[in-house]
Amino acid sequence: MAEKFDNLEEHLEKFIENIRQLGIIVSDFQPSSQAGLNQKLNFMISGLQDIEKCRQQLHEINVPLEVFEYIDQGRNPQLYTKECLERALARNEQVKGKIDTMTKFKSLLISELSKVFPEDMAKYKAIHGEDAPS
Amino acid sequence: MTEMYSTLFGQNETQGPAGSSSLGFGPGKPPPPMPQNQVSMTGQMPAQLGDEGPALRKPGAMNEPFYLLRELPVGNELTGNTNLITHYNLEHAYNKFCGKKVKEKLSNFLPELPGMIDCPGTQDGSSLRSLIDKPPVCGNSFSPLTGALLTGFRLHTGPLPEQYRLMHIQPPKKKSKHKHKHHRPQDPLPQETPSDSDPKKKKKKRDDDPDRKKKKKDKKKKKVKIVKLENYSFSHVLISARFCFWGRLTDNLLIMFPTFESK
Repeated sequence: MAEKFDNLEEHLEKFIENIRQLGIIVSDFQPSSQAGLNQKLNFMISGLQDIEKCRQQLHEINVPLEVFEYIDQGRNPQLYTKECLERALARNEQVKGKIDTMTKFKSLLISELSKVFPEDMAKYKAIHGEDAPS
Repeated sequence: MTEMYSTLFGQNETQGPAGSSSLGFGPGKPPPPMPQNQVSMTGQMPAQLGDEGPALRKPGAMNEPFYLLRELPVGNELTGNTNLITHYNLEHAYNKFCGKKVKEKLSNFLPELPGMIDCPGTQDGSSLRSLIDKPPVCGNSFSPLTGALLTGFRLHTGPLPEQYRLMHIQPPKKKSKHKHKHHRPQDPLPQETPSDSDPKKKKKKRDDDPDRKKKKKDKKKKKVKIVKLENYSFSHVLISARFCFWGRLTDNLLIMFPTFESK
């Protein structure tokens, strides 16, 4: 998987560098630069062809649209990853807290019900087992 | 109390859920008359329980005297009870992104990318979102430009107009800690008087003039100011060079025009 990304990254870097050089040629154009310009233009087309080829290799990659929003705002997309991980951990802790609370509640309820309804709770335990999973 | 408990969870299977018929869910016999000493709890039964009742119940013979008894969840099911970051081996990613401060700007993520990439893409219409919303109309294949097609790219000589040149501005880089120590040989420093050049007189002056030290300090301050101004002018040239020709080209300029260095 990483090779595919490396391949795309390499092509993109080459493409950007070619565009940059193209910009330099165009920014102060000289008659002698025409041949170089033509060459750069065709490099640009071959670069686009290379990137197009990479697309087939990365067909199954899904990128969250929120990442594009980060990039459009000029923000580091790693911040999205960071916020996702932090959010996941926070939710994980919340759910764990709820599960722990419900487990305590269940054991307390069973013990209290066993005091009040010993016979019925004995039957309940017979069905679910003594150490019923929480 | 046992009776009450049994009434709440139902006596037998054939009567159906106590709450279902009273709440108007599904067909069923009317509920049996309540004993007088019992409080009706059917109104407090959630409608969902009555609705899902038949699917959740085990055979009555097995769960006697209970019904509406759910099967307990399987213990090895993956839930929020486990640390999911550890479960999916994401500790490394977590430590990498959450352990240290991630820089805010896009240029910190793509430092090699030329141009002003920290500006919002909506300003100049270069946003990725617009690319998704309005995909460009183009063909499916890229074919190289032949001689006839290349005639369309014959450009006028000379530099680009100013407004187009601004598109290639490199974001101003932070001043490097390295100080340029290129002093001009003919610094406009306060010139020494011929009398200063005489060592004997100097000694005398040092001995005679008590404010000598103060004056010297002032001179030093002036020197520093001048040096700073020189640095400023030099860096100003560098920045303006970057402004026009992008960052990397500056290095080329320095190679091509070493007079910048000597200045």
